[in-house]
Amino acid sequence: MIFRRSLLLLMLLTILLQGCVVTRGTVGEPLQEEAISGIKKGTTTMAEVVSLIGAPDRIVRGNDREIFHYYYYDGKSPALLLLLLNFIRLDLKSDNLYVFFNRNGIAEEVVYGKRTGRTQFRVWPFGD
Amino acid sequence: MATRSLSRACTIGALGLTLLCAGCSVRRVVFNDVVTPEQVNFIRIGQTTILELADHIGAPDEVNESEFGVVALYNWSDTKSAALDFGTIPRLFLPYAPTMTLTKTGITPEQFQVVFDPQWTVRAYGFSRRTSEDPVIWFWPF
Repeated sequence: MIFRRSLLLLMLLTILLQGCVVTRGTVGEPLQEEAISGIKKGTTTMAEVVSLIGAPDRIVRGNDREIFHYYYYDGKSPALLLLLLNFIRLDLKSDNLYVFFNRNGIAEEVVYGKRTGRTQFRVWPFGD
Repeated sequence: MATRSLSRACTIGALGLTLLCAGCSVRRVVFNDVVTPEQVNFIRIGQTTILELADHIGAPDEVNESEFGVVALYNWSDTKSAALDFGTIPRLFLPYAPTMTLTKTGITPEQFQVVFDPQWTVRAYGFSRRTSEDPVIWFWPF
């Protein structure tokens, strides 16, 4: 009896989940907010920023200053691949951190934005 | 009698819906959040700083130096792609797989650009492109 029920449950699950594809892709490492809060404006040096967060993904020069850019991308893509109908959606968002240094190599400003927390597995391609 | 007629109508309806959807493929790729003109209403030229901007709409995706000053770029896009494969149903019955597919993909990269002066206050800003409200399903490529 238990065997038959388990078999039925397994069959039902197989039917329900057939054609489901779940994919997740990331670029880079998530930015650690504790490490970011360790950057003190006016005191933290370039070397200390590197030891806290790691080497930047990009170094930009703007207004005669060095800017360290760190980024992280997170994408979630569920898909429903049925015999006759396919739905695929990819939701991709990025986190960005910029550390602006003054001419002496001291952190002057920190700009951080996190969007990846709002990335969702949504298969329905319609709507917002 | 009424039950049988209802059941027949349901079966025909389900078959019709299946035939209508057969071979449809809908794909959507959404990158980042949309920045709307309403969200950037607060910006005052010569007053708003990069920090205030980040507080309101998040950190930019790129910061580049240009001859006008440093430019912050916010990127987002909503790519919609739909296809209709007329070979889906014959493939279920025929030993070979006929293919006749109509596909349309609309990639709409959009950008919000902000130029800063040397004090990191906004010198100018603008949208590079505006969203056109294309339907999600539109596979006619012509």
